[in-house]
Amino acid sequence: MIDAVFEKVRRAERLTYEDGLALFRHPDVVAIGQLANGVRERMHGDRTYFNRNMRVEVTNVCVASCLFCSFARLEEGAPGARTMKLEEAWSELETRMDDPPAEIHIVNGLHPDLPFSYYEDLLAGYKRIKPDIHLKCFTAVEIHFFARQFSMSYESVLGRLRAAGLDSLPGGGAEIFHPEVRTRIAHDKATAEEYLDVHRVAHGMGMRTNTTMLYGHIETFEHRVDHLLRLRALQDESGGFQAFIPLAFHPDGNGMRNLPAPTAVDALRTVAVSRLLLDNVPHVKAYWVSMTPEVAQIALRFGADDLDGTIVHETIYRAAGSRSPAGMTVPELVRLIQEAGRVPVERDTFYRVVREFPRAAVPEAALKVRDRKAHKHLDVLS
Amino acid sequence: MSALVDRAIESAGLGDVIAARSRGALSDAVLVRLRDADLLVLGALADRVRADEVGPEVRIWLGESAEDASSITFPGDDRDLTGLELLREIAIARVTGPLRVRLRVDWMRCGLELAQVALGFGADELVGRIATKRGLPIAEGELSGVGKKSRRELAQTAKLRELAGYVRRAGRRPVIVGHDGTAQAFEEVPAVQEANP
Repeated sequence: MIDAVFEKVRRAERLTYEDGLALFRHPDVVAIGQLANGVRERMHGDRTYFNRNMRVEVTNVCVASCLFCSFARLEEGAPGARTMKLEEAWSELETRMDDPPAEIHIVNGLHPDLPFSYYEDLLAGYKRIKPDIHLKCFTAVEIHFFARQFSMSYESVLGRLRAAGLDSLPGGGAEIFHPEVRTRIAHDKATAEEYLDVHRVAHGMGMRTNTTMLYGHIETFEHRVDHLLRLRALQDESGGFQAFIPLAFHPDGNGMRNLPAPTAVDALRTVAVSRLLLDNVPHVKAYWVSMTPEVAQIALRFGADDLDGTIVHETIYRAAGSRSPAGMTVPELVRLIQEAGRVPVERDTFYRVVREFPRAAVPEAALKVRDRKAHKHLDVLS
Repeated sequence: MSALVDRAIESAGLGDVIAARSRGALSDAVLVRLRDADLLVLGALADRVRADEVGPEVRIWLGESAEDASSITFPGDDRDLTGLELLREIAIARVTGPLRVRLRVDWMRCGLELAQVALGFGADELVGRIATKRGLPIAEGELSGVGKKSRRELAQTAKLRELAGYVRRAGRRPVIVGHDGTAQAFEEVPAVQEANP
């Protein structure tokens, strides 16, 4: 079976549900990675992307009660609840104008009391500070919530937010689409169909979006393949997804804290199978915040072609126990990519090249270490 | 091992390495080819050697593991290796090292994530001091309300269970090596798929 799947990949044929399951279940993760790496190199060569971005979460007050979330607070005034004043949110950018990000990524809780104008003013304010900043804001779950909360269609919500400065949508909120899982872990927010419909509408309006999958909790491989194929089907139809980001579940401080976090092998396998199944999505990210910079670097050999960005200060994963740093510098990202033998490319949000960095020779010191070690092994053998 | 992996090894010019290894005829030229090979092809080759020579078991050391001629511990003294470099080193050691050499990964020094990945690149033992446990709430629950000695034992059990889980999820069979050097299979962790808890 697996050899037939491998042949299909080699001939660039589309994989089926059964093929996806066979890949997830195959015990040799290195072989799966090798296959995905071939596809990645066919699509992007050694180019590996990142951008200068900044995360802002303006509120963690959220009416949804997702089991996997360690970030949200149910209401204002609850311990840890926080909603930024607009000036406070804008100052996050103002204080970084000496080395400004190219993109602001905003994801929030579903706040029951903030007016729609708050979000419009938020975007407009960022554009006033830096007119060319790219605003990638509000997950499909938030857009669906706005539509319900303010009695508008998805088109109206997106139209008004675009008029205020919105440029694209992030991919969060997808979790796992299959109702067997979604009704257990995220029963009171947008359904899978609603999530996909928001993206469908956004793509129809000419917007580009990303998409995600939260893996490693109560879902099965069957649920993962189902999720990936639903994304592939929408991409066939509307074509607006730029990147897929597998997000590893982190258990600290949430309703599924009795579960272990997915391991590095599962992270690499999920990146690889995603690359193989999503043949129509251009980019697969190794989101270093979710999988640690070390594992993300290895993932660049398992099908991923993007490390996300500088982030600056991420809080959602840190609330769930991530040990990754809150942000990384451009030199750090470039070094991670070069050490993986890839060519670092700084991009904008639409994957236009901002700057291509040279391919680094393997650092001299590391080469010497390898030579010495390898020769030592040979000496032992002889 | 699939035919595709066979072909990848072949097309990387490494098809003759296993035969040369069994004849004890690995040369410097082979080493150069290994160093330049695609990391995952090299990993697949090393994994094949590992499967042939030491099988599916991964030994988890409870106490100090004695260094001897039949084992190599990673990372070595050079602490500036990247994760990818460490994987390449381990794979090269598996392919060029002595027959049935034990390749130990110190998970305290390189992290559990990388140690687990290394099991797919030729490593077959995990070493590290098992003392405390963080980030496993089940264990934290188990630890409440017990005395200091029992607490330490329970923490050790929890850590062992976690390590064994990592091994299982890498598709391998955990074996615990006790303080007295005796080895026994760790059966407590059910052999489940990662995505089917």
